[in-house]
Amino acid sequence: MLNWRNVSLIFQREVRDQLRDRRTLFMIAVLPLLLYPALGLGMMQLTLVFREQPRAVVILGAENLPNEPVLVQGDRFAEQWFTDIDDPVRRASAAARLVVITDQPGSAERVAKDDPALKPLVLLERAREIRESLANGGGAPEAKEQKRQRSGELFGKSGLQVLVVVPPEFRKHLERVREQLKSRRDGAGIPTDYERPRIVFNKADEKSQITFNRVSDVLEKWETSILDDWLRLAELDQSFTHPVLGDPVDVSLAEQMAAGIWSKLFPALLVIMSVTGAFYPAIDLVAGEKERGTMETLLICPATRTEIVLGKFFTVFLFSCTTALLNLASMGLTGKHIAGMAPAGVLARGGDVAFPPLSAVFWIVAILVPLAALFSALCLALATFARSSKEGQYYLTPLLMVTLGLTMFCLSPGVDLTPQYSVLPIVGAALLLKGLLLSPLHSGALYIYVGPVLATSLIYSALALWWAIDQFKREEVLFREGERFELRLWIKHLLRDKEPTPSFSEAAFCFVLIMLLQFFATGFLRARMITTTAGDFGRVLMQLMIMQQLAIVACPALMMGVMLTTSVRRTFRINWPGWKMLGSAALLPLVLHPVSVELLGRLKWFFGELPPEARKAMAAMGDSAVPLWFVLLTFAIAPAVCEEIAFRGFILSGLGRRGRVLLAVGLSSVAFGIMHMIPEQVFNASLMGLVLGTLAVRSGSILPCVVFHLLTNTLGVLHGRFGEVWYETTQMKAFFAFEGGMLRYRAPMLVVCIAIAAPLLWWLFRPLVTSESEMNAAREPDEDLDAAAQSERHDRAKALATHRE
Amino acid sequence: MIHVNRLTKSFRDLRRGTVTAVDRVSFDVRPGEIFGLLGPNGAGKTTCLRILSTVLRPTAGIATIAGFNVDTHPAEVRARIGFMSGNTGVYDRMTARELVQYYGRLYGMPEEALERRLDELFATLQMNDFRDTLGAKMSTGMKQKVSIARTIIHDPPVMIFDEPTAGLDVLVARALLKTIASLKSQGKCIIFSTHIMREVEKLCDRVAIIHKGRILAEGSVAELERRYGQHDMEELFFDLISKHEREAAGIAC
Repeated sequence: MLNWRNVSLIFQREVRDQLRDRRTLFMIAVLPLLLYPALGLGMMQLTLVFREQPRAVVILGAENLPNEPVLVQGDRFAEQWFTDIDDPVRRASAAARLVVITDQPGSAERVAKDDPALKPLVLLERAREIRESLANGGGAPEAKEQKRQRSGELFGKSGLQVLVVVPPEFRKHLERVREQLKSRRDGAGIPTDYERPRIVFNKADEKSQITFNRVSDVLEKWETSILDDWLRLAELDQSFTHPVLGDPVDVSLAEQMAAGIWSKLFPALLVIMSVTGAFYPAIDLVAGEKERGTMETLLICPATRTEIVLGKFFTVFLFSCTTALLNLASMGLTGKHIAGMAPAGVLARGGDVAFPPLSAVFWIVAILVPLAALFSALCLALATFARSSKEGQYYLTPLLMVTLGLTMFCLSPGVDLTPQYSVLPIVGAALLLKGLLLSPLHSGALYIYVGPVLATSLIYSALALWWAIDQFKREEVLFREGERFELRLWIKHLLRDKEPTPSFSEAAFCFVLIMLLQFFATGFLRARMITTTAGDFGRVLMQLMIMQQLAIVACPALMMGVMLTTSVRRTFRINWPGWKMLGSAALLPLVLHPVSVELLGRLKWFFGELPPEARKAMAAMGDSAVPLWFVLLTFAIAPAVCEEIAFRGFILSGLGRRGRVLLAVGLSSVAFGIMHMIPEQVFNASLMGLVLGTLAVRSGSILPCVVFHLLTNTLGVLHGRFGEVWYETTQMKAFFAFEGGMLRYRAPMLVVCIAIAAPLLWWLFRPLVTSESEMNAAREPDEDLDAAAQSERHDRAKALATHRE
Repeated sequence: MIHVNRLTKSFRDLRRGTVTAVDRVSFDVRPGEIFGLLGPNGAGKTTCLRILSTVLRPTAGIATIAGFNVDTHPAEVRARIGFMSGNTGVYDRMTARELVQYYGRLYGMPEEALERRLDELFATLQMNDFRDTLGAKMSTGMKQKVSIARTIIHDPPVMIFDEPTAGLDVLVARALLKTIASLKSQGKCIIFSTHIMREVEKLCDRVAIIHKGRILAEGSVAELERRYGQHDMEELFFDLISKHEREAAGIAC
């Protein structure tokens, strides 16, 4: 049992030690308090000093612009066209940002005097070249495209941002229309298909894009003014041009604007700050301790490894939380202060950046706790791997990238908290916080997620902590010496020093390989299916699925088994299991099938609808055009054989090599589940994997697993294909029902099934659990011992176990 | 009190294959006795002692300390031993008193007894000058004394010293050896590893000569000298080692 006094002693010592380190204190306490105000100050200075470069707009053919309404005044667009801005001073400065160079005499020279850097004369030259190149005839689409490309090259080399080409006679056309309108008071029949000015810009160039946006704003206002004039002359109402749309009504409050900002900022910052706040102390507490030579001193004290890790864990956790909270508080206060101080307009777009309400602070702290726990445990485990502080720091980058990536995903606007997301690590917590901060007063709907998110986060933290403790117990991790990695030697070792069964890493690698191959195969499958006609769809899909099973699941496992192990038989458990095992493997699917169907049916609200590809595959399963034997081959026989070879053969053997059977069964089930990708099937497959794994271990053979898997899938196919028929023909209506397009099972049926299944499962699982705890009492063997030594240890442990009985 | 029977420890190394650091080592140490483990570098002394202190786990064989198996009851073993080696450092940011107090508490000593023992130890070892000096500021000799204090704060019946005089100057080493001798007179069971002959001659009641993981010879200094007809421990030591090397080469051929 745990001695909490030891944990507390170690915790207190570590915290006191860290606090005595000046650098740690600085990083954790002083830096946030100073950094954010400093940053804020710096930013403010920059914005005050900031003067945007004026952008050049070249207008060719300016003499053809109408005299009124006037577009260009001097070297600028007329200020009246910047109607978005009320303040005249700001309007003037907005106008000043666009320098207009026309081909009117004197224009370029004037600009050259004021802004010589713009090189207006050169720009005019280039502009004329571009006008030439754009003008040369129409013709075939290829010629047009060539012309466009040539113009694009010229434009890119010219240094222009926006070019406006006004055609000749433009003013005359406009005036003619106006005259006609004036005399006729009616727009019918007045031709307006004259050539219009063209705006040339480059969308890929950011400067050009921005300038274009501003110029087109101005031109649109100018155009609207001309249009209003014409409407008036034609005796039409001004609002003729907007027959449908009224003005939108924005009901946002200032707090909501602020909440929008906080809801994006805080979750991201919380995650990043708690990761970094956990990481450096973890490195120092483990890798640093190794480097300084005090690790061994600690290991010989009476505290157990678990107590040591827990003491360090609480230290790291404390620092992670403190860092996150201090940073957030400092940032929040700085942000509020700056927003208040900023000159009107620069930051006013964000609304009054109100400080988040007290309830939000409560949620931030509440969600910080499991997040910080998770990161602390993860960082401790990673730090245990590291031989030195330097090596430990290299592990930070991938961890940071992964958490950052996940957080960015969560902050994208479309992503909301769903039941499925709520049970994912980090994602669930970030989404919950985002939702709660967004509408703190009206987040009642989100409260139901609080339980699952917090509970699952705590579970993940506990798992990570268990992993950290596990690593800390392993000699080869704690006492890793300098190694020089040599590829040749390592490959030779891999192929020469083969064991009868694969290693943990080999099993993990096999799984990763299968997942990667599956990833690539999905793309291939999809491409192939698009080109298939509807009639053949079912048949082709199934052919591809069979090939996929063979090539992606069975092949890698078989090949790795043959190449990397000395006993294919032991690795793939090719033994006779005995009739008892076979019998239960045959009986269990029959009784578990109704339970499974009902369970999944009840959980439909959690899993949601199947994605379209899965639904197509399901439909193909029930497609009567495809013969039953073929369907069974695809959905029952191939998966049963191939997946068992891989998951209960190679992967289970590898995971269980160190004698931790429960862990191996659990991990292989999770892996098996994840392979199925679709959440509903992941859940179903994981549960099935537990039974399959236990069957494999208990019987020592893969045959019952194949039988179980085969029967389960067969029942699934028959259920889909003949469910309706069965329901209609059966006499025992009390047991069955038909809902939602599929056969369902009523309570009496479920009672019978559970009555048979429960004792069977108990009989199956129990020895696994009890023998595992006995093995744990004798402690687990180390990895990488040679087989003889390991079997000796195994015998000793067994002897101890029996001796105690 | 220390009972070791066919203790073995193997590692898997990529380059060297399976390395047997400790190969079926057997010996016993009684209370009130100083047992020396004599061998060159890489002989397996540190590994053997690390197994005894429960830091490493044996691959095969049995080791018991004060009746408890190091493999199955490590916590009980750790409560009854004091371990000191070149690898057991002192914390930079703890004072001498804090460190010894910390370990005393971890060993479960009640506060009053701990205080008394602290005062007593610090007086005996003449550590009162640097009671409140931080670890980083201590000299090597001071660090050694702190380590000794830490080792014996809980008055364990068994003590394990792994090359304790490594890197120490003559004066400090001498003081340390005197302390160890005084511990023996208190009836402690002491095992002591070294590769310095003089220490063995002066201090150890019995000696085991270990090379490449195997014990080549065991007994008191006088017995060994009689058995091998050598009056100089050093010569005896070299003779045994070279004989062992020749045999190993002969078998390999």
